[in-house]
Amino acid sequence: MALKVYVDRMSQPSRAVLIFCKVNGIDYEEILVDISKHKHVAPEYKAINPMCQVPTVVVDGKFKLFESHAILIYICCAFPGVASHWYPSDPFQRSKIHSVLDWHHSNLRQSAGVLVWNTILAPRHGLPLKHPLVAEESEKLLVRSLSKLEDFWLKDGQFLVVSSQPSIADIRLVCEIMQLELLSEKDYDRILKPYKKVVQWIEDTRRATAPHFDEVHGILFKVQKRLRKRMATEPVNYNHLKSKL
Amino acid sequence: MTLKVYCDRMSQPSRAILIFCKMNGIEFEEITINILKGEQHTPEYKVINPMCQVPTIVDGDFTLFESHAILIYLSCKYPGVASHWYPSDLIERAKVHSVLDWHHANLRRGSVGVIINNVMLPLNGVPSNPQAAEEAEKTLEKALTVLETFWLKDGPFLVGRSQPSIADLNLVSEVMELDQLLSKELRDRILSPYKKVLQWVEDTKSATAPHFEEIHGVLFKTGKELREQLASQSGKNE
Repeated sequence: MALKVYVDRMSQPSRAVLIFCKVNGIDYEEILVDISKHKHVAPEYKAINPMCQVPTVVVDGKFKLFESHAILIYICCAFPGVASHWYPSDPFQRSKIHSVLDWHHSNLRQSAGVLVWNTILAPRHGLPLKHPLVAEESEKLLVRSLSKLEDFWLKDGQFLVVSSQPSIADIRLVCEIMQLELLSEKDYDRILKPYKKVVQWIEDTRRATAPHFDEVHGILFKVQKRLRKRMATEPVNYNHLKSKL
Repeated sequence: MTLKVYCDRMSQPSRAILIFCKMNGIEFEEITINILKGEQHTPEYKVINPMCQVPTIVDGDFTLFESHAILIYLSCKYPGVASHWYPSDLIERAKVHSVLDWHHANLRRGSVGVIINNVMLPLNGVPSNPQAAEEAEKTLEKALTVLETFWLKDGPFLVGRSQPSIADLNLVSEVMELDQLLSKELRDRILSPYKKVLQWVEDTKSATAPHFEEIHGVLFKTGKELREQLASQSGKNE
């Protein structure tokens, strides 16, 4: 099956799909859709994905699929050789994967990326910021989401569902949290370090998908280095990041 | 042991589960968790679902929440469930997953935001944030346009299907919440431009009769009361 994967490595769900394909030795063609250059709203890309979002996959030049959870599930089922722990056939484990992926939409997805966008990336691109309350609300939601990961989703094992091996849910959610690496070191530590299980789980997922995890996150770390260097020389007031909880 | 379904018929995803179970002859015990009375926050319910939301199912030792996950679980568990609800063909199934995932940040988010700002906050005498209200309406209008021009472009039902899937149950329940809770003026402004969407709601109602009307009974009744209450509140303010 010929697989084209339209992605931007600065996008959390794009990274999840790329890491998954690489770890499972799936042949694909990676096509960059550069969000910072507005390529996602170009007519050529809109013809592929009318939602103008990444990632999208095109299978055998015909079947177009978007939404990263749907993509990951489809690849697990359609491509031979994918180990069963990624998307187990056991109905209870599979349902838990669906459950945490659904929970993710309104929790981690709505907070980690939104916080980074509003406080770091939008200013970098010279884009107008939303109301300051948006950053404050997204930090509150992020803290609630991290607490739920720490106290509930990770209570039974090393990974989210299959306790000793990662599933598609682990890759997807860890890629989301990785976006927080764009915050200053001080804010990253302040927000994430209290959650020991979460921090360990990120490391376990990274190791389980090595060396692809680090390779796919390469551009994120490059941008992080540039941003943190600038933050060190141009102090910015990030008071709205201080948690009031 | 009978399947337990913890739900509130005022909750969109709860209604999708109930209609699905009834359509497929799945035996279950319905346990009401009254959201307006805050029963989702009781310690007893928190033990069942730490997220304090409905619906949740308990099937023997197995507890599951998030309505899409529940609908998929039930589709696979019960052999009598017709295959159009959750197709076995990988491509058709992927399309159903895709629209269910899209729903979270689009129709669901827009609809909940519009209802909170135009119904719930005014009912409780709390002023709504105009920026949040405007954003919610923009999100909802965009979602309805995408439904009209993309998700419903190839068939009576979502993703070009000729029979309803679990996605239709969930998303139509969402539209029904808007249909029943918004004032006539808002409903006309926001919903009536979308002819395909309105037809799809009717087609889903017909395909799931008589259960659709029966399960929506609480929403019809409560919606009427809330609309009357809001109308008299704004009448008093003039």
